[in-house]
Amino acid sequence: MKRPLPEAFAFRGSISRRANVLVGLGASFAVLLIWQISSWKGWLDPAFLPSPVEIAQSLWTMVLEGQIVGNALVSIGRILAAFALSAVMAIPIGLLMSSYRPVNAALEPMVDFIRYLPTPALVPISIIWFGVGEETKIFLLWLGTFFQLVLLVVDDANRVPNEYIEIARTLGARPFQILLDIAWRAMLPNLVDNLRITLGWCWTYLIIAEIVASDSGLGFVIWNARRYMQTDRVMAGVFVIGLIGLASDQLIRALHRRVFGYLKSTD
Amino acid sequence: MNVRTTEYLVFDGVTKRFGGLPVVDTPFHLTVPRNQFVVFLGPSGCGKTTLMRMSGGLDTPSSGEIRLEGEPVGKPDQRRGMVFQSYSSFPWLTVSQNVAFGMRYRPDLSKHEKHRRADHYLRLVGLQEFADTYPNRISGGMRQRVAIARTLAAGSEVLLMDEPFGALDAQRREQLQVELRRIQSEESRTVIFVTHDVEEAVFLADRIIMFSRRPARIIEDIDVTAQLGAARTLALRDSETFFRMKTRIIQTVREMEVNT
Repeated sequence: MKRPLPEAFAFRGSISRRANVLVGLGASFAVLLIWQISSWKGWLDPAFLPSPVEIAQSLWTMVLEGQIVGNALVSIGRILAAFALSAVMAIPIGLLMSSYRPVNAALEPMVDFIRYLPTPALVPISIIWFGVGEETKIFLLWLGTFFQLVLLVVDDANRVPNEYIEIARTLGARPFQILLDIAWRAMLPNLVDNLRITLGWCWTYLIIAEIVASDSGLGFVIWNARRYMQTDRVMAGVFVIGLIGLASDQLIRALHRRVFGYLKSTD
Repeated sequence: MNVRTTEYLVFDGVTKRFGGLPVVDTPFHLTVPRNQFVVFLGPSGCGKTTLMRMSGGLDTPSSGEIRLEGEPVGKPDQRRGMVFQSYSSFPWLTVSQNVAFGMRYRPDLSKHEKHRRADHYLRLVGLQEFADTYPNRISGGMRQRVAIARTLAAGSEVLLMDEPFGALDAQRREQLQVELRRIQSEESRTVIFVTHDVEEAVFLADRIIMFSRRPARIIEDIDVTAQLGAARTLALRDSETFFRMKTRIIQTVREMEVNT
């Protein structure tokens, strides 16, 4: 459907899905073009910031050398494992905290304290505890996401309208039935949104973990290239992470729209 | 036998405080016979909603007792169902699933019986065409019908309604009032309906309990059916008796405002 331009540019106006995608691609392309032209003109030092074309060429070379796909899969695997662990722990604990005041009173101060500790500061202690194997990486990722996620789950559960709970009670639902049949279903769309956002944070902690203690993964690839001042390769590695992030984010958004289509109203 | 039918729902000297705040201070006494449509009319925040919620088991009286057929009211159960103004239906369930949800915790009903009842109540509120639609895609008035059908399907004998039509426009509100009256007499249920709208109260009620400002106290107990009869049609709204009764109540409300 074609919408007139003024409508798209009106304050808080509306835009079609197609136009939305086109504008997104166009803007990204424009930035790349300015960057590329700046490189051609010699305004940018390639050792400092290589051009997009150089980065693309390096990326292709790295793919052919077998550096990208395998290491990307290793990184994705670590993220999924750690994130699943975080979510599987955070969801029941968060639900308990929001359902029973004493559980909340007991756990909230601890969670809040640990949540504010900068994860990178805990790298030394995690190496002392777990060495430099997979456990350290999973632990650091878990540390960076679990405590944040618990509080987000509590928040989502607390925001379930009291009316839903009371309707269920007058229909004869018992507490665990209210939790599963009502609270869980009502909070799910917001929870999935929060999981999507938290998943993004995982990349930050993963790269830190892979830089400090690893011989595989995209963080290792980037750090290794830096050692030889291969800026183009560093940028190529960063680019791959951005691409994976963008793809997973869009995938979860699309699933969200599909699974929670019932939220869409006609008016 | 007679005592049982007339003394159906009883508020026996009920008071309520939230912390230090008295919501119902003067012990509240009220006896509601079976199948009566009672409207709690009063200013916002006067405590009428709290009284209704206590009869549903959603709040506990600070003193006194509420009884349903002689049994003290404890925790909420299917016998007393709630219809709220907003968030009255579950958005992740279709209209028919919402109605059927009312019977989810009724293992005594067979699958076949649940199906039959869901169908019956969907038809009763005129939503059979929208059975597979999600609540966010129908109007606010239809969402309230879904809630009514769900409560009836659950088998609630007492419908507790907390300003259920408060968010609707005037036309839809009138239409739903007519339907609610029809449904209530067809299905023979007892209703406690909370509102601050005088016209709505007069049109719906068999009996109006008028409340003062907080702490809640009964100002007047009005037998509407004795004056207007039990049949409520749109034409009644234009009648002189209806108009006179409405005006008199509005005047009482004004006098109360002046005196406090």
